[in-house]
Amino acid sequence: MELIDADLVARVLVDDDQHAFGELVRRHQSSVRGMLRQLTRTDAALADDLAQETFVRAYKNIRSFRGEARFSTWLYRIAYNCFREDARRRKEFVGIDEEQLQAEQDPQIVDSALRHDLMHALSLLPLHERSAVLLCCQNGLSHDEASRVLCIPLGTVKTNVLRGREKLKRTLAEWGPN
Amino acid sequence: MDEISEEDRLDRQLRDAAPYLDDNGFTARVLHQLPAPSRTRRSFRGAIILAAALLASALAYIASDGGRFLIVAMARLAALPTLWFFVVVFGSGILVMTAGVIAAISKASELQS
Repeated sequence: MELIDADLVARVLVDDDQHAFGELVRRHQSSVRGMLRQLTRTDAALADDLAQETFVRAYKNIRSFRGEARFSTWLYRIAYNCFREDARRRKEFVGIDEEQLQAEQDPQIVDSALRHDLMHALSLLPLHERSAVLLCCQNGLSHDEASRVLCIPLGTVKTNVLRGREKLKRTLAEWGPN
Repeated sequence: MDEISEEDRLDRQLRDAAPYLDDNGFTARVLHQLPAPSRTRRSFRGAIILAAALLASALAYIASDGGRFLIVAMARLAALPTLWFFVVVFGSGILVMTAGVIAAISKASELQS
């Protein structure tokens, strides 16, 4: 009988059971790391560092998980906060900003082998649209859940998803066979 | 309608495009970074349970006039007809055994998962 996430969380809370927490990490590592890879624009090493930070923070703050949302939604929120904090730090120390990264990823110079790569098209979206599309379309969160993860109003999430989807479709159409 | 199905198709493609990332030691690295589990909390909880059990026993002993209820219960059991005595003993045994089997099965399935 496979334990559900809530049972595992209860074990961590009651017995400080790190094996139970390990099971939670195993279950969610792929989606959290995948999301962070997209947010960091496929910087796998940075994404994995942030994912580790996410799970360590989740363990330390597991008492604040009240079970109102799914455990994965709660994790995505922590992951997104880790990403934002890291991006802010990098911006302060290195001077990287979203527009600069955007310019570096000009679709005109995309390798032809990647033309139909949806993940690449996704990485070209601006951060606010990319994160909304990632959460709602790829990870299956509702608009309401995504608004809680991203700490933005529900209407903004809907707009960002809509615009993100439109841009994705347009990019894929441009890359498609003529 | 077409637009909705097109959106669904895009969402499905996005989900399919996301590769499953193998663990490759990621979980082990996370577990290695976790703070050591708190032993004090567990022993504190054990101490509270033990203290509550001792207190309840002491109260029951005092309230029953020095454990008189045990003597009365033993006398009642001894006065039971042999058949009834056997039924009580057998019933108690079955009850305890059922509880033990249920606990063992649930623990075994938990370990298997």
